[in-house]
Amino acid sequence: MSAVVEVERLSKSFGRVRALSEVSFGVDEGEVLGFLGPNGAGKTTTIRILLGLLHGDGGTAKIGGHDCWTDHVRASRFFGATLEQPGFYGFLSGRDNLRQFARMLGPVDEKQITALLDLVGMTERADDKVKRYSMGMRQRLALAQALLGKPRLLVLDEPTNGLDPNGIHGLRILLRKLATEQGLTIFFSSHLLSEVEELCDRVVVLHRGEVKASGPLSELMNVKGYRYRIDVSDVDKALEIVRAVDGARAEPGTIKGSISVTADDDIARQINYALVSAGVGVDQLVRTEKGLEDIYIQLTGVPVASPLSTPVPSVPAQ
Amino acid sequence: MSILPSLIRNELEKTWRSRWIVFAVLFGLFLLIAAGLYAYFVHLEHRWTPPAAVAWQSQLRDEIAANQQNVAGLEQVKQQTQQNGGTVRVGREELTIDQAIAQANQAIANDRYLIDHNIAPVQSFAIAQASLFALGGIIMFLLTRIFGWLASEQIAGERSDRTITILLSRPPSRNQVLFAKAFASFLISLVVVLVTLLIVYAMFSFWYGSPGSLTDQAGVAIDGAKPLGPGNLLQMPIYLFVLMCIGAAMLGVLCVQGMSLLISVLTGRWAAIGIVLALLFGAPLVSTVIAGILFLISGSQDSSHFLNYIFFNVLAPVGSVAPTFGNSTAAAGSGINEFTVEVETLAVWTLGFFFAAWLLFRRKQEAG
Repeated sequence: MSAVVEVERLSKSFGRVRALSEVSFGVDEGEVLGFLGPNGAGKTTTIRILLGLLHGDGGTAKIGGHDCWTDHVRASRFFGATLEQPGFYGFLSGRDNLRQFARMLGPVDEKQITALLDLVGMTERADDKVKRYSMGMRQRLALAQALLGKPRLLVLDEPTNGLDPNGIHGLRILLRKLATEQGLTIFFSSHLLSEVEELCDRVVVLHRGEVKASGPLSELMNVKGYRYRIDVSDVDKALEIVRAVDGARAEPGTIKGSISVTADDDIARQINYALVSAGVGVDQLVRTEKGLEDIYIQLTGVPVASPLSTPVPSVPAQ
Repeated sequence: MSILPSLIRNELEKTWRSRWIVFAVLFGLFLLIAAGLYAYFVHLEHRWTPPAAVAWQSQLRDEIAANQQNVAGLEQVKQQTQQNGGTVRVGREELTIDQAIAQANQAIANDRYLIDHNIAPVQSFAIAQASLFALGGIIMFLLTRIFGWLASEQIAGERSDRTITILLSRPPSRNQVLFAKAFASFLISLVVVLVTLLIVYAMFSFWYGSPGSLTDQAGVAIDGAKPLGPGNLLQMPIYLFVLMCIGAAMLGVLCVQGMSLLISVLTGRWAAIGIVLALLFGAPLVSTVIAGILFLISGSQDSSHFLNYIFFNVLAPVGSVAPTFGNSTAAAGSGINEFTVEVETLAVWTLGFFFAAWLLFRRKQEAG
């Protein structure tokens, strides 16, 4: 399989802030690649470089074999893209917006516009002005815009932003359909790990401008380690005790009254003993399967529930 | 190249759909002014129909008769006072009686020359007056500010709306995007200027009692401060004069659009609009204040003449080609020579703005 996207030792700084540091990865044709990382990791900067909006300070970024900055016109024929918080002309209808962008690709195909509006479930509101659209509707219109001109590669930056659970479910089904039935290559950045886990063949995990891990999901899932959910009588005290146990990393659990613990070795008995000895009641200690979320936390050190807890490099306004 | 018409169409559609109200208000305003002037005419002349047209030769003959009377009067004063040292005020000048007589005789000779050679002073034509008034005065001052505002949104607006990411990530090159925006802005302004000129022409045609000829020969002063006559005369068909005025006016518009595009490349919507309007309204004010100070210091209006070649003073070079009303001489800094220098200055500014905008836009990084 040939690589549609090739990123080699890509670096980018904004003033003194280093946004990307020798980032390398590739996306093969027909592949669905998840691009993960906490806020400020450099995901959007990478995507902006791929779209020809920024150019890297070092390294290369190519789409379809064409440099994204110096040969942008040719590279851009390969992809359709949506960026976080998609922009549209609010004074035009959704359909007219699509016509505007379709004209940039060649003669307008009205049938394709109608089909795309139908595909993203926007037929009923297609002739309303975009300024009256909700964020979710804008996201769906952005997807239709990205699919104009039948691109070979779809670049999606946080496409689930603003979508309700039904919308997210619908998007997942749609993307899977596009990938399997039309052989579309999808490069997909998201915070929603469950989406990435269900949709992607491979993931690239970015943190502070560096690639922390990259590979097929099945391989990443096999990383050695353990995860426990422990229901306790006192969460704060339990966290303090468990963090003192050698090799254990503890975070508040998603369920009230529970903590989540990850460790490289099986230390269940050790943790249980420490808690009980300290007078913390343990109602339940369950060893769960290690998921993408755990790998993400392990690689980035950022809990999924609080992605803002890691310092975010400030990007100067251009 | 085939994508360019589509891009231009996109820009025209966006401008029209987002700013149609501006054009509607402008058009309504012109119609309202025309209606007001018509009402004033009816009140003043007690008639609903245009006055009878007067041939330019008749006007010049009247002027000759008036000057002959003037000379006779001056001769009489000279004989009565029996002295040559007395002075009379002619316009803004203080002249001796002999100088005033010589000037009046020169005016008579000039007018006779024009009649004998069938050269009409350019102000005799309704279309020329309309061109000078619509393309060189307050109307153009306001229109250039509106065009500047619209052009300042061209890229800055896309940035604020976040549509710049789609615009720049699609196959058209940045050069094509910039050209389409500049061309569409120019096209819209050209239509507005031509419609304005037509409305003003209709008003002047009514006032003159006839639309007048479009093919006759017209004479324009080379130096506006001197009377129109042999040695100070550029002769051209009137349609060429109108085309020259339209060209110069549109160069002024293009210059403003170049500056606005340059600012638009660098900032967001509100900053761009604010900077452009502050420059376009503020700079002429500053220029006027400087001219006033220089006049107070030197006592001569020529001391501030160099200001004519600064960008903001040459936005409407048509204003310098001839005095807007009447066939009299104008102040220094008018006439075809002045017009030519201002157009050249404007062309340099325009090229500079567009070149800078192009250079910056093709390398501009959109970090979001």
